[in-house]
Amino acid sequence: MKRICILILLSFAGELNGFAQLHTVEGKVLNEKSNPMAHANVFIKGTIDGATSDSLGHFSFETGQKGVITLCVRMLGYAEFLMPVSEKKSTALVLKMRPDNITLDNVVVTAGNFRLKGNSQFGKMSAVDIVTTAGSTGDLYHSLRTLPGAQMVGESGKLFIRGGDSNESQTYIDEMHVLSPYTTTGDNVPVRGRYSPFMFEGINFSTGASSSEYAQGLSGILALNTKDASPVTKIGVNVSSVGMSGGGTQAFEKGSVSVNLDYQNMKPYYALFPGRLNWINPYQLFSGSSQIRFNPNQSTVFKTFIGYDRTTFIQQLTSLDNQTTRDFGMKDDNFYLNSTFQKTTESGYKVFAGAAFSYKNEQIDNAVLSADSYRDKEWEVHLKTKLTKRYTDFLRLNVGLEDFIRHDETTYAYSSTVHSDSINHSIGAVFATAVLNISSNLYAELSERMEYTSINNLWNSNPRLALSYNLKGVHFSGIIGKYTQLPENKYLMLNKYLLTGQCMQYVGGMYYEKRDKIYRIETYYKTYKDLALQESTVLTSDGYGHSKGVDVFFNERALFKNFEYMLAYSYSLSKRKYQDYTELSTPQYATTHNATVSIKYNIQALKSILGVTNRFASGRPYHDPTKEGIMNSTAGFYNSVDMSLTYLASKKVILYASATNLLGRQNVYNYNYSVDVNSPGGYRKTPVIDSSTHFFYIGIFITLSGKTAYDVSNF
Amino acid sequence: MKTIKSFLWLLFFLLPIVASAQELAPVVQNVNNAKDVPGLMQVRSQLERFMVAQPEQWLAGYYLAYVDVQLSFRVPSSDEKLQYLSEAETYLNKLSGFKEVDKSELYTLKGFRLYALIASNPQANGPKYSGEIVGAYETALGINPNNPRALILSALFKNDLAKFMHQPYVNFQKDVEKAASLFTVQNTNLLTPTWGKYWVDFAITKK
Repeated sequence: MKRICILILLSFAGELNGFAQLHTVEGKVLNEKSNPMAHANVFIKGTIDGATSDSLGHFSFETGQKGVITLCVRMLGYAEFLMPVSEKKSTALVLKMRPDNITLDNVVVTAGNFRLKGNSQFGKMSAVDIVTTAGSTGDLYHSLRTLPGAQMVGESGKLFIRGGDSNESQTYIDEMHVLSPYTTTGDNVPVRGRYSPFMFEGINFSTGASSSEYAQGLSGILALNTKDASPVTKIGVNVSSVGMSGGGTQAFEKGSVSVNLDYQNMKPYYALFPGRLNWINPYQLFSGSSQIRFNPNQSTVFKTFIGYDRTTFIQQLTSLDNQTTRDFGMKDDNFYLNSTFQKTTESGYKVFAGAAFSYKNEQIDNAVLSADSYRDKEWEVHLKTKLTKRYTDFLRLNVGLEDFIRHDETTYAYSSTVHSDSINHSIGAVFATAVLNISSNLYAELSERMEYTSINNLWNSNPRLALSYNLKGVHFSGIIGKYTQLPENKYLMLNKYLLTGQCMQYVGGMYYEKRDKIYRIETYYKTYKDLALQESTVLTSDGYGHSKGVDVFFNERALFKNFEYMLAYSYSLSKRKYQDYTELSTPQYATTHNATVSIKYNIQALKSILGVTNRFASGRPYHDPTKEGIMNSTAGFYNSVDMSLTYLASKKVILYASATNLLGRQNVYNYNYSVDVNSPGGYRKTPVIDSSTHFFYIGIFITLSGKTAYDVSNF
Repeated sequence: MKTIKSFLWLLFFLLPIVASAQELAPVVQNVNNAKDVPGLMQVRSQLERFMVAQPEQWLAGYYLAYVDVQLSFRVPSSDEKLQYLSEAETYLNKLSGFKEVDKSELYTLKGFRLYALIASNPQANGPKYSGEIVGAYETALGINPNNPRALILSALFKNDLAKFMHQPYVNFQKDVEKAASLFTVQNTNLLTPTWGKYWVDFAITKK
């Protein structure tokens, strides 16, 4: 008993002894430019002994800690500073801080856009931004077409970026590739994205010189990130002029399960607003998707997404040559599975592993001729793993491996003739990126991607260098990078030894963002080589081309109260000799001038957000067989004034309405000519125009669960 | 004799914990008294030292997140606002992994951080986070219906939403009164969250 009492008394005595012999720790905290830093937290690590620096950077405190102590300095935006200090030399200390290396974790050096996670608005859109942009009709890809760099190809709906073809832009969900991101549609009916913008927390659109981590995209990358956690249980339904959907999320302590079902049928819409197309069975889409998220702890996330959709329609088409009709019948099944794992270890490694499976089965009856049939079955497995680690305050490394395993088989049958073809191949790659914090306002990103394509047995090296310099809030950046992409499957099936297409990109830009304003200007020059070229019956890799231009973007979110505007302008000159363009010429999809003016006005008195978008594009080139040369004519310019209205009927009910082309302009994208010059009247010419002058969408979104409001996302 | 022995052993082991809790108590009081940026920075440093020295203590991290939210209201630069709110989010996420954390208080602070995010840029963040804020407060009140902070912040936010929708929030008065009475009976000597009474006074002046 005595011994216990002595022990306890000794422990008290130790405490008292500590208080009895105090010594002073005193000094000054400076920043990297040797200016005094106020409000820095200076303390002895592992204790609560410390002080806050004053406006002159001075600090002073007393401690009873003996021997060599570890002095720690912390300040938001700066790297933690640690210094061993002996009891005898604990005064007149000068502690110099450096900008925070945490910033390095979030640095993304992209052309004209030096983006810190969560701070930038450009290129990182939210679902609300998308649906309230007039002309988007609630679709991700339609909305992206209003941004600079994207071109207006109204009859397609796909992304065409900076003079590049649509297949040169790739979509990734949670870093995993999506083989078929667009819905299947009829002739001259623009496609839409398969996935609702409300599924995604981050929508990152890169119009060029994108990260080496992303493969097979000569033009651009759309990187979509789903939510890591959905902590609120909710149910919602929506009914619209094109269909209905419903679903919800069940949240658990360590994860959630979300489900959404969607059914679209254009029959009632066409009954009200008949278009220019003849439908035997109008467009129908059934889709179901689900996401499971599991967060066993704060540093680990498992996510699995499954989506399936089936599209069917029969459209009556008329031949330009002999005026006969055929019923073009489409059945398309699409399946996508994506499973990812992310973990940050205690030692600071970020581990990522993912697997994705895309499957597409397309069946077309009366595809080219009456009584023919076309089948295309395609799948892809994408496996990827990567490791990221910040090794020092000035260096972050990202290394990874990935593999794409692809299969495509097509069958064309007409009368008793059946022609089948298929390819199996893989693309393996290793990539590494080093982000260097050269000084507090100069960053460099050096990367390399080595890719092996089994089909042509080739290795390709894709080096990339990006620099970003911040001068008083204005970010200057420049990127040089090489990108490679295999030719489309339809060419690879004809010639398996085609080379991998190459593109060198040179991008320079300036970017400024301040609270509610974003200004950006960017110029680029791209050269292409080894593109697939079909001359007569010979298919080679002798195609080449170039594209150059300037993109300008202004966005002010608070020009006036509740008023936001966006101006986007792109000037692009693109010429290629590739595919069936046998002379160096501007491809049919390319436009020289593209401009968008978009405004949003929050009418608080009416609980509404009004959006108006005016899109303009100069005329597109087309080939007139009655004239000399190829791509020898230009169609009229494109203009469309679109409007949308979002009405908050209550916190559980949101009404959304939109209408396109309010002025009723007939935009001509191209002209189709009959093949046979000897048909009555010579070449018969038909304009390629929208399937209807206007598109009207009206939808009501209802939240059924009690804990959410203004939430139209079931995920 | 045996009882005394056990008591002394217990005292021996609990001594450092009791001592550190006592040291944290005045800091928590300082949080409630800090009104300006220098005052908040001072108390922020103290809390940060506690959090580093005693990482198992959830309350220091919790109050650090709260002070960061308060700082976001007071610093003028939007970049700084976002830095503080991002830092607060990091602390709150870490707290979710603590078994002993008061989850009702955690959700309340999560909601309050989102409210600060809206205040930093109402036009852009209002539509994005309104639903999530309501959800956070509802969850907090689901866990503890007598959480005065969740009650008053939820009432104020719902009242603002109702005004925006040109509709009345009928429970506003009742919620404010209930929160006021809960604040008067909360034990400020215990090491638990005690902030938020200001919002009751604010709600009363707003009526």
